[in-house]
Formats: sequence, structure tokens, C-alpha cells
Amino acid sequence: MSNSSFYETDVQRQDGTFLDANELVLNMGPQHPSTHGVLRVVLKLDGEKVLGLDCVIGYLHRGVEKIAEHRTYAQFAPYVDRMDYVAAVSNGLGYCLAVEKLIGVQAPPRAEYIRVIITELQRIASHDVWLGTHVLDVGAITPLFYTFRDREEILKIFEKYCGARLTTHAFRIGGCQYETYEGFEKDVKKFCDFVEPKIDEYEELLTGNRIWIDRTKNVGVLKGKDCIELGVTGPVLRAAGVKWDLRKAQPYSGYEKFDFEIPVGTNGDTYDRYLVRIAEMRQSVKILRQAIEGIPEGPIMAKVPKVLKPPVGEVYVSIEAPKGELGYFIVSDGSTRPYRVRVRPPSFVNLQALDKMCRGALVADVVAVIGTLDIVLGEVDR
Amino acid sequence: MSLAPLLRKVLLVDLLKGLSVTFKYQHPKEIQTEQYPMQRPEIAERYRGLPRLNVNPDNAQTLCIACDLCAIACPEHLIVVKSERNPTTKRKELISWTVDVSRCMFCGLCEEACSTDALELSQDYEFATYDRNHFILDRETLEKGTQPTVYEK
Amino acid sequence: MLQSFLSYMNSTVTPGEAGNYIWATIYILVIFAMISLCVIIMNWGERKALAHFQIRLGPMRVGPHGLLQPFADAIKLMTKEDIMPAQADKLAYWMAPYVVLVAVFTTYTVIPFGRTHAVTDMNIGIMFILGVASLEVLGIVLAGWASNSHYPLLGSLRSSAQMVSYEVAMGLTVISAIMMTSLNETGVGTLSMIGIVLAQYEQGAWFIFKFFPLGLIAFAIFAIAMVAETNRAPFDLPEAESELVAGFHTEYSGFRWSLFMLGEYAAMIAVSSVATTLWLGGWMRPFPNWLAGPTWDFIFSLFPAITFLILAGLTFYNVARMPKHPAFKIQTAGLAVFGALLGFIGLVFLIPAVRVRIFDIYWFMIKVAIFMYLYIWYRATWPRYRFDQLMKVGWKVLLPTALGVLILTAVVGVLR
Repeated sequence: MSNSSFYETDVQRQDGTFLDANELVLNMGPQHPSTHGVLRVVLKLDGEKVLGLDCVIGYLHRGVEKIAEHRTYAQFAPYVDRMDYVAAVSNGLGYCLAVEKLIGVQAPPRAEYIRVIITELQRIASHDVWLGTHVLDVGAITPLFYTFRDREEILKIFEKYCGARLTTHAFRIGGCQYETYEGFEKDVKKFCDFVEPKIDEYEELLTGNRIWIDRTKNVGVLKGKDCIELGVTGPVLRAAGVKWDLRKAQPYSGYEKFDFEIPVGTNGDTYDRYLVRIAEMRQSVKILRQAIEGIPEGPIMAKVPKVLKPPVGEVYVSIEAPKGELGYFIVSDGSTRPYRVRVRPPSFVNLQALDKMCRGALVADVVAVIGTLDIVLGEVDR
Repeated sequence: MSLAPLLRKVLLVDLLKGLSVTFKYQHPKEIQTEQYPMQRPEIAERYRGLPRLNVNPDNAQTLCIACDLCAIACPEHLIVVKSERNPTTKRKELISWTVDVSRCMFCGLCEEACSTDALELSQDYEFATYDRNHFILDRETLEKGTQPTVYEK
Repeated sequence: MLQSFLSYMNSTVTPGEAGNYIWATIYILVIFAMISLCVIIMNWGERKALAHFQIRLGPMRVGPHGLLQPFADAIKLMTKEDIMPAQADKLAYWMAPYVVLVAVFTTYTVIPFGRTHAVTDMNIGIMFILGVASLEVLGIVLAGWASNSHYPLLGSLRSSAQMVSYEVAMGLTVISAIMMTSLNETGVGTLSMIGIVLAQYEQGAWFIFKFFPLGLIAFAIFAIAMVAETNRAPFDLPEAESELVAGFHTEYSGFRWSLFMLGEYAAMIAVSSVATTLWLGGWMRPFPNWLAGPTWDFIFSLFPAITFLILAGLTFYNVARMPKHPAFKIQTAGLAVFGALLGFIGLVFLIPAVRVRIFDIYWFMIKVAIFMYLYIWYRATWPRYRFDQLMKVGWKVLLPTALGVLILTAVVGVLR
């Protein structure tokens, strides 16, 4: 049995029907302009109507979790940046918090503030990438360039702060390696003033646009109950009206000190997810302004032994990454290397909702839904 | 439906608003393109690029004390340090220091491990080459430091 | 033969009407070459304009400001391997791009670029254009079917449904324009393209302003339908890149693919020409009745030369702004030569014999160029419609509106 026919039967099994002349099996990906990397979606179509679909993943599998078992705790930190590479800082923060909990260390307040600033910048950058590519999938080719211009400003701040733009390795276990550079506060403030009118501009381009509304309203609807059943988190969950944000629910890294709101939607459709993410970008700017005002003086690194030997035990720490709940489960056997690291990536879990969201929709909707889920294949396949 | 939204809908106001946004951006001063290599990006001071081995500016001796910490810190085990104990001074002396930058992810852990500021990640970001062997850098290349390609002006 | 060649020189009708086959052939060849040249210019212009909408520079490396980019692309496409999928229907696959191309270029036989600047004037001109242009869909369906692949098939199915349904609304607005031509003493309208323009001259108004806002609405519907007809954004479903990879021409490459592109751009120019002829007074200069007289004729006939001289001036301004270092020496020189060429053309257009013959073509092309710019602007701004929404817009919005406008035009025309 050839490979493709295997997946064909897989699709058939889901509906309990068999392939007949009216049904068309379409392979979308792994080389396709809008599968955001190397996702392969096997669609079963009736004309243009989607009867069912099957995601085939693993084209970008690098065995990150296995690599962890052969690296020391400090050495593994750069690798987590390579999972969700458009939000590398959030990955690093989650990992550092997990190891800190394992060894019982708390990062000093100044380090926490720096972490919040950098991760919130990263959230805006990640949402910028999402907006650009999602809108590109729906057919508007221009916003991509505008959002990437904004993201460039963030990456410039990253480069000045830690020396890298994409896979930053910005944080270390126990705090931050780098002190802020001269003019850091000014740069962040300037960016806040710069990005807010730009977000207004994107809204002007899209929010009221009838084509955009037609393409996104009631497309890929996922109700709150379904979200919870599928374990979907992040903006997708919040757009369905469930007010669940880990920054509020179980604050980490000093998020309890900041005043911000959790934007929620009502319908759980693609349009609401768009509105929620846009609102989140505004909230991030709000957090940034508070953090840059209240950044305390002090050390940026807690006392962490040179050779990390955590006690035997296990720990699960999750943070609110731009795409949803990003969790790290680390088992220590008392040696310098983790016994097992398991990552709970938001993209992978959110992707499982694709079939439910696309049933009965058209081919064009599949593309819009993949875009709105905001998946990064590096994180899905790890 | 009240009159104002209906009028807005009939007169395609939402679509025209979008058109006005894109129209404004045509102004040449909005262009973001950087015409590399004629125009070069500004590289931050902390940029983590190609590694460099620093020498003491006074006597041109290497600062490396061959402690092997960088090799231990490297997650990918790319650094090989060879040293020999000098029988007269009883000190470890560096013989060779190589790094395979083809697999390097420029995480900066080696730089942080170095106790004498001998190893530093420089601002050099242009290391494309035609041969994979060129990625294995030895001590002489690294001590010469950043050698950015100079284009004719 | 020379006799018949020379006899046409001072004619005031098209070669087709004069029955002069030599000049008709020359016109056909010149129009084919000029449209191809326009497509090339359009190719460069679209990249540059789109790039500026998207805060980019666009092509900058091949020639000064990327001026030679379309030629480089053409060479690349010609020399590329001609791939035919093993499972393709060979004959249909081979034929499809030519069907599209022939259908598109045939429409140009009756498009009047000036009173004498058309291959011929048919008394059913507009019907002929609508009929031949709808053959284009055959080529697209053929391409999609012959490729024997899923994406092209879906693309061609979308294309056929889209073109058929938008032609209905388009046809209705064309009828309302034709009805407007009959508002003269005799009460007899015309289907001839030249006749339609002359009717606008006689009535002293472009049809877009006729029975305001009826003409404007009809024109707007035509403008929307023509974007859908030519498969351009936001109605570019048949080749929706993010959904169907490249739609009906996914399996095509190299020369055959370039024929599709040539056909698409030529079709854009063709429908824009029809829109210009029907609504915007065709080749007529602005205010031919109000600002009449030889003085105004002279002033307006200077416009082509002035335009080219301004373009030349802009080019020389950019020559001065080019980067100074030696790597740009050749590019700067090339740009200067290009500027000199533009200036030379501008000076040639000042010669009275040329001036008189060129200026109606100029006004026509200016109007078409505005449509071309709009095409690019739409593409840069709006998302793409979904298939069912496209159908909804076509059948539930445009068609009833077009029908209403048609009836109202008839009523107003009779009551007048």
C-alpha cells in the first residue's frame, strides 16, 4: 500500500464513508503557499466543500525533547528558541521558569521586569507575523509588509538587548544574562508610540472591510465548550468567550503587578479571533508602558550554582505564550541533565481543532482557518 | 438598518478607507527596503556573530589560557581546545583552537563561559562560503578577527 | 499595390471600412506589437507600483530602477524547459494558452484607439467583443482539465462559473450604454464602437455622466464585473495563490505560462478599453464641445509631447540622484539614454504631422492607464472573496442593480 492511499483510507474512516466518484482527495501541502511551513492537510472534498480532513505532521521534527536528555539544563536553553521561532523569547521564559521552580530559585524583580518587557514585545511581534500571514492567506497581500516593518523595530530592540534577532536566547536560568543597554527605555517607549497608530491603520484596512468580514465571520466557529474539550488555549479560546489567560489565572514573572485586561470574543469565529489578537496587541502596549515606568533597580541574576544539579523531582510550569498555553514538564533524576523534558506546545494542541472547524466549509475557509489558528510548524513538530 | 450605515455600505466607504491607507504609503519616504550590499544594516554592539579570539594588545599574546570551559559549555560540542603544559613555566599553553561554525547556533554560552575575555562573538555576519570546510575555523583565522567583505566603493 | 498603400494616407475612416487590406494588416501587426509592449510596461509598472504600495522598492537591479526586468524575465521564460505533465491531455494542454491568447487579441480588431486608429469598424462591434472575449473561458477550462491535476481543475471550474455569471451583469450595463446612444434625432442607436464614441461627442457628455447617477452606477457595475472577468484581485479566485497554488495554470511553466500571463494582461487592457469606449468617451480629449476650436485643439494636441518631456525630465532628475560610485556608472548611463529616448519621443510628437495623428491615441491610453492603476491598487488593498460570496455578489447584488439601471435608463430616456 502506497503512502498516499494510507492517508486516503484514514480520511474515509473518519466519516465512515468510502471514496466514490463524487469525492475528491486533495493533498494540501507540505509544499503549499499557505500551510505556514510544512503542514500537510489531506482534504476530502465534495466539489469545494470540505467533508473531512486529516493533518499530517512531522516534516519538521527535530527531536527537541530527546536532545534535552543529552544536554545540561543551561545548555538546553538555546534549543527551546527553535520550537516557536516567531516567539522565541516566550519559549525561553517558560523553560527558565520551569528550571527555576525545579531548583527553587526566584529571579530578582529587575530581571522579572526585563522579562516582561521582552516577552510582551515578542507577543506583539508574534501577533504581527500572525496578522500579516493570515491576511495574506485571505488574499490581501499588503498588510504583511506593514506588520513586518513593525516587527523589525522590535527585532532591532532585541538585537541591541541580547545580540540576536530571532532565536534570541535572551534569558538564563535565574534571571537575565544581559543588563539593559543604554537607551533601552527610550527605545521601548518610542516603539509603543510608533506601534499604536499602526494598529489603528490595520484596523482601518480590515476591521470594517466587507470582504474581510465576509471571509471571516462565521468561519471556523469553535465554541467555548469545544475549545475546552479539545484543550485549545490562547486567543482561540478567548475568542470563544472563555476568559482564561495564564497571566491573570496563575501569574508568573510578576504579571500580577500590571494592570491589563483580557480581551474576549463572543462567537468564536475567525473574525472574533482577529479582534481578540488586535486587542491583545493594544494590551501588550499597555503592559509595556507600565513596565518601562516601574522598572526597579537591582541585580538581574539570582544566585544560581555554576553546575546545576536540581533535586530529584518533577515540575510542570506553563506560561501564556502568544499562541496559547506553553507548558514545560521537566523530570530530574538529580544529575546535571534532565531525565525527561516534555513540552506542551500551544500550536500542536490548537491544530487538533482544525478538522472540527473546517467540516462543511469551503477550501478557501481551510486556508483562513489555518491562518487564524496561528500555528508554527517548528512548534507543532518540535 | 438606519440610514447612515446603509449609505456607508452603498457608497463602499469601508473599501475606500482601505484604499486610502494603501495610497498614502506610496510616498517614497515610507520605503523600508535596504539595498544590501550598498546599504548595510547597523549591527548592534552586542550582536552575536562569528567568534573571535582576542589577543593582548600589548604583547600580541593570546588571552586564552586553554581552560577548556568554552568547549564544555558548548551545547553542540563544536569547540576543540588543544593545550600543552610548558615544562619551563609550568603553565598550560594553547596549541590549537578550532570551532565548527557550520553547526553553531550563536547562543553565546561559550562567550559567557570564558573567564579571560579571550573568546568573543564579533559583529561579523557575512560568512557564506562555497566550501563546508571553510566553516571550521582555526586559531589564526579567529585571532585575525572580523574580516567583513569589502565591496568596491 | 503601392497605389492602394498611398491612397489610404489621407483617409478619414479605418482601413477596414476603406477596404484597404494592406493597411489593415499593418494595423493588426502594429496593434499586436504595441499591446505586447504595453503588457511589458504593465509588468514593470505593476511590480513597481505594487512595491511602493507595500513600502518596498521593487526591481532595482536589472537595469536602472529595474527597467530591464521584464525583458530579463521574458528571456528566462523563453529559455526555460517546457514541461508537460506525463498524465496531461497533450493536445488540449498544448492548445489552451493559444485559445486564450487568440480570443483576447481578436477583440482588439474593433477597439478604436482613434477615429481612424482601428483595424475595422463593425456595426456589431460591442457584441463582437463580448462574444469573442467570452471564448477566453474555454481556454482556461481547457487548461484546467488538460493538466489532469486537482488544483487546476478547481481553478478552472471556479473560473468558468465566475466568468459566466459576471458576463450577465456586464452585458446588461453594456445594453444601458447602447440605449444611451439612441438619444439623438433619429432615435437609432448603434453597436459600433466608433459609433458609441461619436454618440458621446454628439450628445456632449461622456456616458458616465449621462442621467446622473444612472450612468455612473452602470459604469461602476461594469468596472466591478470587468475585474471579475479578468480574474484579478479581489476576484482572483481561479488563480488564488494562497488556496489553489496558481489555479488553472499550476502545471504550466516557461513559455506556455508566459502566454497565459500575456493573455491575462492583454485582456485587462482590452476590457479597460471597452470601458473607456463605452463610458469615458473613448479617444476624445476632455471637453471636446465646451473647449472647441482650433486653438484648444492645438493646446490639447501638445499634451502627448509635454507628457513625454516631463517623463524625460523626471528621468534626468533621477539620473542626478543615482548613487555616485563606479558600480552604478553603466546604470546611470543607461538611465540617461532612456531619458534621452523619452525626450526624443516627446520632440517627435511636436511635429505637426505626428501630433495630429497621435493625440487621440494618447487620450485613449491615458484613460486605460488609469484603469490599469486601479487594478494594481485593488490588488494591493483588498482581501479575496470566497467562491460562494463571489457568486452572491454577482447574482444578488450586481445583476438586480444592473437590471434596475437598465429599466430606469429606458424610462428616463423615453420621458426625456
